[in-house]
Amino acid sequence: MAQALKKRGNELYVEGDFIGAEDYYSQAIAKDPHDPTFFTNRAVTRIKLEKWEDVEHDARAALSLYGKKDPASLKSSLYLAQALLALNRPQEAYDLTIVAYQFSLEVRNVQTEKLSGMLLRAKKALWEARETARLHEMDETLKSVEELISADLMRAEKELGDQLAKQEIGEVGYREDLRALREDAAKKVSHVREAFRISSKGDIQERVVPDYLIDGITFEVMHDPVITPSGTSFDRIGIVKYVEKAGVDPLTREAMSVKDLRPNYALKAASEEFLTKNGWAVDW
Amino acid sequence: MFANKRLSKELLKLQEHVPPGVSIAKSDNLEEWQMDIKVLDDNPIYQGQTYRLKFTFSNKYPIEPPEVQFIELPATSDTPRPIPMHPHIYSNGIICLDLLSSSGWSPVQTVESVCMSIQSMLTANSRNERPPGDSDFVAYNRRRIRDIPFVYEDDNV
Repeated sequence: MAQALKKRGNELYVEGDFIGAEDYYSQAIAKDPHDPTFFTNRAVTRIKLEKWEDVEHDARAALSLYGKKDPASLKSSLYLAQALLALNRPQEAYDLTIVAYQFSLEVRNVQTEKLSGMLLRAKKALWEARETARLHEMDETLKSVEELISADLMRAEKELGDQLAKQEIGEVGYREDLRALREDAAKKVSHVREAFRISSKGDIQERVVPDYLIDGITFEVMHDPVITPSGTSFDRIGIVKYVEKAGVDPLTREAMSVKDLRPNYALKAASEEFLTKNGWAVDW
Repeated sequence: MFANKRLSKELLKLQEHVPPGVSIAKSDNLEEWQMDIKVLDDNPIYQGQTYRLKFTFSNKYPIEPPEVQFIELPATSDTPRPIPMHPHIYSNGIICLDLLSSSGWSPVQTVESVCMSIQSMLTANSRNERPPGDSDFVAYNRRRIRDIPFVYEDDNV
């Protein structure tokens, strides 16, 4: 009986009738609240509907029904992480995804790739939060202006929610308007930041790591630069791996060994100075 | 290893800027990307065509080279992608290019620089032909690309 309801939900989902599908999955859950697939299917439907709190609820329900050691639970972790990011809770999303990612790697699950992508998205969201905090710390006025924009957005979102509740607008229109509101607010924030950046004459800058501090192999900031006989500096970890394997200079292809690498103290000092002033660059 | 981190940085850079005639066709994971390339001058062999390169990265990238080959999408698809004619490109898409072999690779190469090298390899070519022994190679080769002992003596094509 419950399975038949799920099947009907799946059919509607494929047809693109997400509201209908959600309803059938809810009926299936009412009949049998112990089948995790009912919850995962409703979660993915609710992702389509952008009902993020509900996605969180369903994904957590599925996760607890599956238990920690079932690879089938990894999909639910992915849905949960997606919901948490949408709900602006990147730290929780990151903590959860990193555990799921390790587990997925161990059991060689097909979700590994998606989880790794999700990790990057969570990291980016975390960085954005840190960036906002940093900018606000530097400039009180910027903080006030951005808070006004965000209060404005919350008010508009609430009005829109009320309209939906009174059925003055439909679900689809609601989601479209909501997205437009958020995009508009994000645009305003970026304009304001740009204006403040120009007027600050360089105090509030786009943060860029200078090319000469970036290792040509790992593309990271060099912590321990060494110089090759041909005069190019690399971070120790990458160049040692390469030279051990290839036995040549990566630019000139002349024979060389790890012993030919010399520390580049001047560059190291420059790199350390930069990192002291720009701690963020460590996980750039 | 640092493969993932390096690739995500390469991707960020590519999303900001790609060289002319190069575009990202698929980069939704850090194991396989597809890039579209065009030949920009008026070489008649490649005029008006777009070609699709497939990059496969191991977790040892960039210490080890990516596997790079052309892939074909049928002429009837929305985005037809033939295999370009070239005396160093087999009809199954395998490219005989020194910098893609284990011994010719350098970790300072990037997806962008490989695309540009292949672009210029096409630009400079005037022979509308496949490598000698193409049909045998396509029928019998089972080795991985980087392990094929290509001969690179023919530097003027």
